[in-house]
Amino acid sequence: MTPLRLLSRITEPRVYVSLAALSLLLIVPWLIDSSFAVHIFVTICVFGALSTAWNIVGGYAGQLSLGHTIFYGLGGYTTALLIKHYELTPWLGMWAGALLSVLVALGIGFPSFRLRGPFFSLATIAFLEVIRLLAIHFHGFTGGSAGLIVPLKIGWAWMIFQDKFNYLIIAFGLLVLTLYVAWAIRTSRLGYYLTAVREREDAASAAGIDTTRVKLVAVAISAALTSFIGSFHAMYLTFLEPASMFSLASAIEIAMFALIGGLGTVAGPLLGTLFVVPIAEAARGWLGASANGLHGLVYGTVLVLITLTLPGGLVGTFGKRIAAFVDRLPGARRPDDREAPALRQVTGTSGETVLETRNLVMKFGGLTATDNVSIDLRRGEILGIIGPNGAGKTTVFNQISGFLKPTSGTVAVLGPAGTMVSPRLPDEFARLGIGRTFQIVQPFGKLSVIENIMIGAFMHHHDVEDARQSALRVAHLVGLHRLKDVEARNLPIGDLKRLEVARTLATEPSILLLDEVMAGQNQSDTNRMVEIIRAIRDTGVTVVAIEHNMQAIMSLSDRIVVIDSGKVIAQGDPHVVVRDRKVIEAYLGEDFVHAQGL
Amino acid sequence: MDVTVQLILNGIMLGAMYAIIAVGLTLIFGIVRVVNFAHGEFLMIGMYAVYLLTTRLGFHPYATAVPVVILLFALGALVQRFIIQPLLNADEHIQIFATVGLSTALINGALMAFGADLYAVEAPIARQTVPLGPLNILVGHMVIFVAALGLVAGLHLFMQKTALGRAIRATAQNRYAAQLMGVKVETIYVISFGLGAACVGLASALIMPLYPATPTIGTYFVLTAFVVVVLGGMRSMYGAFFGAMIIGIVDSLSGYYIAPDLKEVVYFAIFILILIFKPTGLFGFGRGTE
Amino acid sequence: MKVFMAAALAAGLAVSAQPVLAQQVKVGALYPFSGGLALLGDESYRGLELAVEERNAAGGVGGKQLVIIKGDAVDPNQAVGEARRLTSVEKVPFIFGSYASSISLAATQVAELAGIPYFELGAISDPITERGFKNVYRTNPTAKDFANKMVDSIIDAIAPALKADAKSLKVAIIHEDSLYGQTVTGFQVARLKEKGLNLVETLPYSAKSVDLTPVILRLKSAGADVVLQTSYQNDTVLFFRQMKEQGLKLKAVMGAGGGYSLTDTMKAVGAENIEGALNVDFTQYKTNPAGAPGIDAFVKKYEAKYGIPPRSGHSLANYMGSRVIFDALATAKDFSSAGVREVMMKIDVPVGKTPTGWGVKLDAKGQNVQASPYIMQWQGGQLVTVFPPGAAVATMKVGVGSN
Repeated sequence: MTPLRLLSRITEPRVYVSLAALSLLLIVPWLIDSSFAVHIFVTICVFGALSTAWNIVGGYAGQLSLGHTIFYGLGGYTTALLIKHYELTPWLGMWAGALLSVLVALGIGFPSFRLRGPFFSLATIAFLEVIRLLAIHFHGFTGGSAGLIVPLKIGWAWMIFQDKFNYLIIAFGLLVLTLYVAWAIRTSRLGYYLTAVREREDAASAAGIDTTRVKLVAVAISAALTSFIGSFHAMYLTFLEPASMFSLASAIEIAMFALIGGLGTVAGPLLGTLFVVPIAEAARGWLGASANGLHGLVYGTVLVLITLTLPGGLVGTFGKRIAAFVDRLPGARRPDDREAPALRQVTGTSGETVLETRNLVMKFGGLTATDNVSIDLRRGEILGIIGPNGAGKTTVFNQISGFLKPTSGTVAVLGPAGTMVSPRLPDEFARLGIGRTFQIVQPFGKLSVIENIMIGAFMHHHDVEDARQSALRVAHLVGLHRLKDVEARNLPIGDLKRLEVARTLATEPSILLLDEVMAGQNQSDTNRMVEIIRAIRDTGVTVVAIEHNMQAIMSLSDRIVVIDSGKVIAQGDPHVVVRDRKVIEAYLGEDFVHAQGL
Repeated sequence: MDVTVQLILNGIMLGAMYAIIAVGLTLIFGIVRVVNFAHGEFLMIGMYAVYLLTTRLGFHPYATAVPVVILLFALGALVQRFIIQPLLNADEHIQIFATVGLSTALINGALMAFGADLYAVEAPIARQTVPLGPLNILVGHMVIFVAALGLVAGLHLFMQKTALGRAIRATAQNRYAAQLMGVKVETIYVISFGLGAACVGLASALIMPLYPATPTIGTYFVLTAFVVVVLGGMRSMYGAFFGAMIIGIVDSLSGYYIAPDLKEVVYFAIFILILIFKPTGLFGFGRGTE
Repeated sequence: MKVFMAAALAAGLAVSAQPVLAQQVKVGALYPFSGGLALLGDESYRGLELAVEERNAAGGVGGKQLVIIKGDAVDPNQAVGEARRLTSVEKVPFIFGSYASSISLAATQVAELAGIPYFELGAISDPITERGFKNVYRTNPTAKDFANKMVDSIIDAIAPALKADAKSLKVAIIHEDSLYGQTVTGFQVARLKEKGLNLVETLPYSAKSVDLTPVILRLKSAGADVVLQTSYQNDTVLFFRQMKEQGLKLKAVMGAGGGYSLTDTMKAVGAENIEGALNVDFTQYKTNPAGAPGIDAFVKKYEAKYGIPPRSGHSLANYMGSRVIFDALATAKDFSSAGVREVMMKIDVPVGKTPTGWGVKLDAKGQNVQASPYIMQWQGGQLVTVFPPGAAVATMKVGVGSN
């Protein structure tokens, strides 16, 4: 959404209240009119902006970076060195700093994003330490620990002012920019994708998300913003040293503000900063000089208490109540639901081969999970895959959706150009129109039902409103529309199974892989699911279903493949297959077969 | 040649010191699955405790090992019970913040209580040098080396031979299965966290004669200990032990052959490379991407 | 909204300062009172505090009592904030500081732009007075003075005592790699080159190091005779201990203040091991009062007020600087930028007439050119002044430690 469109919504209570509250950051110090107050507000704006930028990676994408001051320092140093050596104005130098920061962010992010949780945090700390030590070691270039002094050239061109209020204008501008970017991401496809990646990477891949790419986009944006702020702050301090520019303590502080305010929310980081910075400044004034270390003790203790009592932060705890209050204020309302966008049409000749596997072998250590499996899938059919527990059905699914790479053998999918192609990664499969569900449901627990479905819908509908309408349509189809605003983690298993189907369906696949979607459902739910699957097929979608519910799969399937011990032991018309001696043996054992005299 | 041998010997001695700290960190991570960012501050508290026991009650620094190990066990158990346990099912980042916050609070608490001054204890025996041909070894270092070996051997026996040890291993393997088998998982966690902290208690009694205590002493050791733990594969105390030896030797050699101010860069670079390319650790004992 | 109110309230409280009484002059005191630099920051402040009390007892400046307004600056960002608070909220006419160079560099910039005189009494980084500022004055010697004094003493004091040619001595520099170490070392290297001495190693290390053995073995391999170290306390202790363990025998070792000046360091290392170590620093207390009149009186006042002997020479340096400045301010017609500059430039106190023994004469940049660090030596557990001869209480010895 462009800034102009945001401006056109100014009559909505949430928009005008936010903007009015934000403008207090300029108005209050202007009223107080003291350069110390200006300094406090500059500090709030700088740390609020740093924390907001950090939140794009740390909160939205859940990648807890404790090395974010790398980009702050790079921005500051690049700008200062360009002034020193080339007399380049910081207004241009900050772009060079941002570019360098983005490159470094991609260089660090690409290998590190495969690490999870605390190991990612540790790696970011290690990168920060390395960069700080190198900045000290190469003192001929950076000025080293002795520091780099920005020449005091006064004026807008050099971002150094006699009138301190100008600093606040720039800091406020940077804060607004950062908040705007954070808000725009939060309410866009990228924002939903980042949340999906944070909650469950596998399900995100199945919804066609290139998980590494979205994380890299997030870190690049975050690094660029952080770098801008670093450039400005260097001009403000006019003195740079590695210890304070690449500081681990500041990196932790930035993350802490976001946690206290509310991770992953737009307003949280700023609110956290507004909450902590004045307290810290006051504590320093009253206690700092007499009680050495007290304010650090308070900081640390508050952090522990917040994690124990308010893990959602200020916004997570009080946000809903405040939002409800604001919504009651007079003003315009968001226009309600619009028309759903057109469904993606499945085109192609009925009966042509849309997916084929050739001699799939999958070995886990000594165990052969699939053994020479070759299956053809024809457009428009419903193919049932049955077999005893542990036969290797789900392993076949994992191979034809890219989650497992076969030990040998090939998977080929009919591509958009009409030729067979062999994709490698789950998200590539997904974008070729293969949608899959997971046997063990993979909901994005903290997202609502409709948002879960939207994650799938984004594959073909980049606009948030289009995706929402498209997701609503799917919710109606599977009967989840009444639960659309419930958080997914609160759903019972039957609804979760339908949500799993709905999210996959929202990707508008041409081939739908359903892994035991009827398990755990009661009879009427099962009947309903059968209806849904038939309806899906009637729109031209090819369906493959793994199922244990024999009655349902028999009535549903056009064709059945039976897998036992990793091998295809029978395939064909359902009624013929069930009479196959090998199939009965596989299910009921050899003794039973003999006793029946078959 | 002599210099290289002396450096390697020195590195092994340094490694033994990291090993004791890293084994504690590994126990906590391997069993409770929490990365304890406040581990270094446990060391700091242990060292101040050694100082107080030595100067106020007249203990020999090495003799303080017993009370300090008990004290740190209790501290670890309390931290687990009242801070980590309520957060066990919370998101990982909440756990990280909780231990980072604890670390900040403890450093500054010590600054308030003791100020920024150095506190050293008298233990002349630890600083005696034993000549070994052309080489020199410090008595204090040899004590640490022997203690590190003893600690790993002792923990090995404890884990293999005792019922409690087996329950701990079962919990580390699979928390839910252990619960089904009647193991009281929460108690096991409290004990394991206590044990991890107790290792640091041992370390503080052994390190104190060689290094003075300051509020930030923990951070000197603990970043290195994290490197060691990752190198050793996160979950294995044997991995941690050998990882510590390697980092000790790298530290010592790169300080001499590259530059003393770049030795951290060298082992942080190793750390990053291991994390990224061999997250199971050098010896394949565990997994970092889990 | 609540948080906004809190912010507004906090900021509001800060501005509602007491009205300035006509009979008082506010004195801003900007030091690190908390954080890692707190110990010596506080020690430095005590010198200023004693000088103010003494001045007030004698009638104040121009008949007005001095009132200290403290500012706590832990890092550059806070230094900017506190300097702003002192100049705009408290409206102090001038600021004294700051002990740490990074804090001074940031705070002096604020004072310069605000046109408020800033008196630096302890920070040694040279650029503080080399940026063309008109409102910054410094009474203490700089890093360059330290470095030059150390290098020169190899020629003037160490070589003669060893009965050797200075150029034949192998000199090595080791230093911690923060601002202090890197700054001093840079000047040392330049001076060594200028004097044509033989520099065999320059080894930076992190002050957080837990092991300096590789550094010591490098010194051993290089066959260093004289080592110049710029260090804090922790790394000084580590160096002396491990030097002994590795059997490194030096002809002389000299520190640039920092860890070398502290009694705690001597205790941690052992008096017999630090015996003979040289130290270049601000004036310390085992100094001949004949060359530093008032030093004994200062120690007495200090002990009377704080109950312990001075913890380092920082308080003395701050005391001496502020005393001279108060004398000058008493003659100023007003405390405007120009008024203060006029009287500061007139100061001319000869060497040997202040409690530190330094003279005071400022150059156009505001730097005192008559201040020079002294050379001290650890002898029998005491840090005694051995150079210059006027201030010396003992003669220099040769050799380091018991080996």
